[in-house]
Amino acid sequence: MKQVNFYYCAKLTFDDYVHNHSFALRVIPPETETQNLLSCSLNITPYVSTQQTVDAFGNNVTAGYLKGDHRFLDFEIKGIAQVDHTKHRTDYMPCYLYQSQYTKPDDALKEFYTDIKRECTGTAADRAEYLCAALANTVVYEKGHTDTDTTAAEAFALKRGVCQDFSHILISLLRMDGIAARYIAGLAFCDGETHSWVEYWTGDHWEGIDPANNCLVNDDYIVISQGRDFRDCAIDRGVMFGSYTKQLQLVRSILS
Amino acid sequence: MVQLKQGQFMQAVGNAAEINELLRRYGVKFGIYKNGVFNEQFFPFDPIPRVITAEDFCSIEKGLVQRVNALNEFLYDIYHEKKIVRDGIVPEDFIYISKGYLAQCEGITPKNRIYSHISGIDLVQAKDGEWYILEDNLRIPSGASYPLIARELTRIAAPSAFEENNIVDNRGYAELLKETMENANCGGIRAILTPGRYNAAYFEHSYLAELTGSVLVQNDELFVEDNILYHRTYSGGKTRIGVLYRRISDEYLDPLTFLPQSLIGIPNLMEAYRSGNVGIVNAPGNGVADDKGIYYFVPKMIKYYLGEEPILKNAPTYLPFYEDDMKYVMEHLETLVIKDVAEAGGYGVVFGSDLTKEKLEEFRQTIIAEPRRFIAQEVIDFLDLPIVEGDQTVMRKADLRAFVLSGEKTKVWASGLTRFSRNPDSFVVNSSQGGGFKDTWVLSR
Repeated sequence: MKQVNFYYCAKLTFDDYVHNHSFALRVIPPETETQNLLSCSLNITPYVSTQQTVDAFGNNVTAGYLKGDHRFLDFEIKGIAQVDHTKHRTDYMPCYLYQSQYTKPDDALKEFYTDIKRECTGTAADRAEYLCAALANTVVYEKGHTDTDTTAAEAFALKRGVCQDFSHILISLLRMDGIAARYIAGLAFCDGETHSWVEYWTGDHWEGIDPANNCLVNDDYIVISQGRDFRDCAIDRGVMFGSYTKQLQLVRSILS
Repeated sequence: MVQLKQGQFMQAVGNAAEINELLRRYGVKFGIYKNGVFNEQFFPFDPIPRVITAEDFCSIEKGLVQRVNALNEFLYDIYHEKKIVRDGIVPEDFIYISKGYLAQCEGITPKNRIYSHISGIDLVQAKDGEWYILEDNLRIPSGASYPLIARELTRIAAPSAFEENNIVDNRGYAELLKETMENANCGGIRAILTPGRYNAAYFEHSYLAELTGSVLVQNDELFVEDNILYHRTYSGGKTRIGVLYRRISDEYLDPLTFLPQSLIGIPNLMEAYRSGNVGIVNAPGNGVADDKGIYYFVPKMIKYYLGEEPILKNAPTYLPFYEDDMKYVMEHLETLVIKDVAEAGGYGVVFGSDLTKEKLEEFRQTIIAEPRRFIAQEVIDFLDLPIVEGDQTVMRKADLRAFVLSGEKTKVWASGLTRFSRNPDSFVVNSSQGGGFKDTWVLSR
């Protein structure tokens, strides 16, 4: 078990005033078997009243509506969590066994899987580690080539990507192999932004694996949200009105 | 055969042109997009009513109530415990590959556990008099307004037909719909959400709003604040909406939960709905139960959830997904009708008998490659109904969309939309394929 202080902030800045801004944030870490929150506070500016709900995947959703003109939306969250990966999460959903929007493989990705599947044997853990290593040997971690809309198939074609892309490709491979897998958005010691990794179902519980670093998940990882792919886990989703043309997002996270 | 005083409704036949002109003026149209161009088509009305005897209706009614109750149980089960999958009645694949299954709806329990408030069940009557279910429509079935307004106008054109015959008044639909909406109401006004006047069923949206005393709204008049859905009033105030009868599809409903690019949705509507602050009619996620692949399992659902024998039959259906069925389909392809489970509105329906030898072979390979995508059915030789064409009466294929409303109780509207094919060789009656409609008279004795 490890006690971790976490801090995370994001700034949305618009180049013109916006109004009637509805947003849904997935930023408050869930309390689960593997993580216990000793404290957690969320601060949003400008001031706006918000409501908390829990979505279908078990994520905390903070929803709000900013009616008046504003040029930015900032939120910061800080707290203390106890993380213990000797315990296990068991919140299974059958949909995690099926490909989703971002993970649907194309012919190239299917072929990649077909070529390596003979070596992919053993327990779910053996197979997940094998697929993760095969992926690390094929795709290079490199920023600037992909964005939040990039699918597993697209990133695989580029052979380059960031943590989100590694996660999507690994999920796609796991699901092709008949192993249920889900996308995790969270914070990790290795990263100054938000991180993403994968959990696979062993048949009994979830286990975390970090494809961008080709390693297993330990107590240095805090889960913020989970879902079928990035779409279910977006930190912020919003709809606003105004004649702005640019939206700038700055993200920073610190673990200690 | 029914003893109707034919002379009286022939008065309506004589006035058919006038009725159609009135319908045109009321804007009773059907809009369709074809190749990216919006065309509004007049939905032609045929004055000869379909007549259903009291006895026939009584058995149809029981069968439909049973079916819709089982479908509602199924929807609750799928979005909660999934017992029917665990017990091996419905294979898991059929649920999770279905486009209508929405994982975002997992765990949501709508008020009174009703998912399908308004169900449009399509039936046909075979030549031997037996009724068969063709399709369930549990998302946003349209069409109730057409027989409503046609009846209104026929009453004016041929009043004596309604004095001399024992026809159940169908004007109760408005009251039934209002009751159903009220039963789903979580506190607030009733509203009908339309995507706007370029929608195929805009006439219906406005007509039903008028009849039920609901506010007809578009998304830009609505917003969610503090998890409550509000209607923006003209004076700058806000009125809480307790139930939203939405006439837009699930994917467009909330850009923060479903398609982010949706411009006709309401951000955070799903959060308000999940919190039980607003009722959505029909519930999002119902598509998993009216999927053409799931249709096969409905009789099994009736037995599973209700412990009853199905009263109404399905058309004999085969799932190429099952080995035995695949074998049968391959051997009888030229006599079957094949439906693509992902398509609607009469699209993706192929009659084996219409295909050339090469096309048949090609299609055979498609089915083998994607068995889950198709269902195959025996072609039911359904009863032809008389329609007026020029100064003649000709016989055409017709089906019946019955409307089943689930409020405090599940009730069947004693009328329905009878659609017919204008093409003498066609079995496809969908309005988007150029068909017309008739009024449906249910006799009270």
